[in-house]
Amino acid sequence: MNVILARMGEITLKGLNRGSFEIQLKSNLKYRLKRFGKLKIFQSQSRIWIEPLEEDNPYFTDLQSAQEIMKAITQVFGIVSVSLARKFEGDFDSICENTKAYVEELLADHPAYKTFKVESKRGNKAFPMDSPHICEELGAYMLDNFDCLTVKMKNPDFIVNVEIRESNYVYCGKMMAHRGLPVGTAGRGMLLLSGGIDSPVAGFMMASRGMPLDAVYFHSYPYTSDQAKQKVIDLAKIVSGFSGRMTLHVVNFTQIQLDMYKNSPQDMLTITMRRVMLQIAEQIALQNNCKCLITGESLGQVASQTLEAIAATNEVVKMPILRPLIGLDKQATCDISREIGAFETSILPYEDCCTIFVAKHPKTHPHPEDVVKAEENLDIAEMVRDGVLGTEKIEINPF
Amino acid sequence: MIYFDNSATTFPTERVRAVCSDTMADELSGNPGSLHKLGVAADTAYGKCISGTAALLGAKPSEIIFTSCATESANTAIRGFMSRNRRAGNTVISTRTEHKATLECLAYLEKNGFNVVYIPVLSDGKPDLKVLEDTLAAGDCALMCFTLVNNETGAVLPSDEILKLRNRVSPSTVYYLDAVQALGKIRMDLHKTGCDMCSFSGHKIHGLKGVGVLYVRDGIRIDPLILGGGQQRGMRSGTQSLVLARSFETALEEASEGIEAAFDDVSAINGYLRRELAARKAMILSPDDALPYVLNVSFEGFESETMLHCLEIYDIFVSTVSACSSKSKKVSYVLLESGVPQKIAANAVRISFSRYNTMHEAEEFIRCVDEIYDKFAVRR
Repeated sequence: MNVILARMGEITLKGLNRGSFEIQLKSNLKYRLKRFGKLKIFQSQSRIWIEPLEEDNPYFTDLQSAQEIMKAITQVFGIVSVSLARKFEGDFDSICENTKAYVEELLADHPAYKTFKVESKRGNKAFPMDSPHICEELGAYMLDNFDCLTVKMKNPDFIVNVEIRESNYVYCGKMMAHRGLPVGTAGRGMLLLSGGIDSPVAGFMMASRGMPLDAVYFHSYPYTSDQAKQKVIDLAKIVSGFSGRMTLHVVNFTQIQLDMYKNSPQDMLTITMRRVMLQIAEQIALQNNCKCLITGESLGQVASQTLEAIAATNEVVKMPILRPLIGLDKQATCDISREIGAFETSILPYEDCCTIFVAKHPKTHPHPEDVVKAEENLDIAEMVRDGVLGTEKIEINPF
Repeated sequence: MIYFDNSATTFPTERVRAVCSDTMADELSGNPGSLHKLGVAADTAYGKCISGTAALLGAKPSEIIFTSCATESANTAIRGFMSRNRRAGNTVISTRTEHKATLECLAYLEKNGFNVVYIPVLSDGKPDLKVLEDTLAAGDCALMCFTLVNNETGAVLPSDEILKLRNRVSPSTVYYLDAVQALGKIRMDLHKTGCDMCSFSGHKIHGLKGVGVLYVRDGIRIDPLILGGGQQRGMRSGTQSLVLARSFETALEEASEGIEAAFDDVSAINGYLRRELAARKAMILSPDDALPYVLNVSFEGFESETMLHCLEIYDIFVSTVSACSSKSKKVSYVLLESGVPQKIAANAVRISFSRYNTMHEAEEFIRCVDEIYDKFAVRR
């Protein structure tokens, strides 16, 4: 029978609270794997095993379908890597026979493989042979049975992994996962989601630290189209593939933006707008039990992301604002965006609300007195109230 | 609702819907290729439909091919002709303001070793005839491809002059015309028009989507684009759809009735909008002598897409650039090629009419534009 082996990472470094992380991880796996049939998910030391409860589950019998379930597991934070393993019982003779059958299937798919090595782990200390001995004997058995193969210790074509626990397992290769901590082990955060590249990556990074998310998007129809809104919904769905279900709060920002545009100096518009957005986001966060705000800001990337501009926007809210991309350059952010499958959606050409009202020469290093002066003719409290009241909620399900 | 996006598509009329419904309901829904009586009936009806369509277009039945759309017609004409007539010359003449259906075929020909010469377009949207004459005189021109009415600006091609030029300088060059936006708006007599190949679309004349026509003058030989069972004299294989063919014929028949009166009504609407918009913060980008059914306007202070969505709030529907390419966020290449500055082209909106639009709608449109300027104007 084929089973899936998922390795835990950072969780294993935890002390007394390790159990709560493991429980959360298993619960997240159960939720994420719901659509893959009836499964048994259990833990043994630093590994989680996923077994089908029905023999004909195609995600375990068909190699291509298995890739699908393994990919889903890699999206669960807390997992380091995943392998599809063959499970069997018995003594060393049985290990040899099962390994031989497994490698025969492997070579049928990969006829170019010529070199191998054996690695083994013996969790069951009652097993009469130790790990180096198992490797030596099994390696010799393989050489006897496969004329086409030779042993190579450095960079072989494939590694035969054998694990001896309550049962025995053999597998080759592994799919890398996104590591991190299980979502749900940190407090909830409110992600400021635009239609760009950065904010979905920021959400992904905070989710990887165990943080469940809600998101807020500022919509300025007719300056931004409903296609732009749909793009944000699509991005929220991509992020929720990692962070789990979320609520997307769509703020109707048009009138607020127009009022600001008419009553605030042009070169300060971006900063004033960011300050109002953060205050609206904070209020929505408080109403939804979120304990921090998350933005995709990266120092110096645009006018509103200089240190002075960040200081000016920071001071209007009490909640912590987490900026996981603050020290990343754009290329690094784009790489992560591609990795999580958001890039192609992020670069669709619909304008987001930040780009419509941008002044030609915005102030990049505003003085605190400029900021106060820019808001002289604005009723900020009313704007924030209107923004919060005019919010549409959209439930985002990853599947 | 005010629908001013008729160059993108039109709604099927009641008469077209009724004819389609009747055709689907009766025994004519047989395969025209079948030997039994249902097939024979369908084939006879299809033949009648071709004859009717040909008569309405001023062509012979043997010159009409039903296709799935005007893009297929363009592909069949351009690629099919160059494929069949390799010894006719290696040069194809056109302009850079053609519809993508033509431009992509030309790009394909270039990739396959043909020489494509793009005649510059003047500010009135017309090709530079002096350059055209010189190019034709240089010889080797197998084919020239032009659009009778530009889909973005309504600019009308001086087709008669081009034809005279062709006949005088290079009579062997075959003349392909994209008449999609002209059909149903100006009376079409293909034999008088003098072109050799011409493409049309059903859904632009209040017919159905999924049907186009290609006219290929008798004597012009082309390779078919779609191979198969040899239907339509082998020029377009695939089971013929009587429903679609009839929808086209009916829509064309309906459009032909009172075509001149409709033209006058739309001219009045166009004139009114030109005057009113020019008096506001808008610049008319369509040439003065453009077909009145298309009006391209640049609204100061509004990017094309923003104006489109502002109008949408009032249930008014227009296009930016052209409907096929409005998602790619590019400024109209047609306007840029015609010498319109980038900044003005970025604010361009296409308003396009059909005979069913009214002056009242135009007045309501202007009222809404005023309100939009009051409410949403953002000057940068």
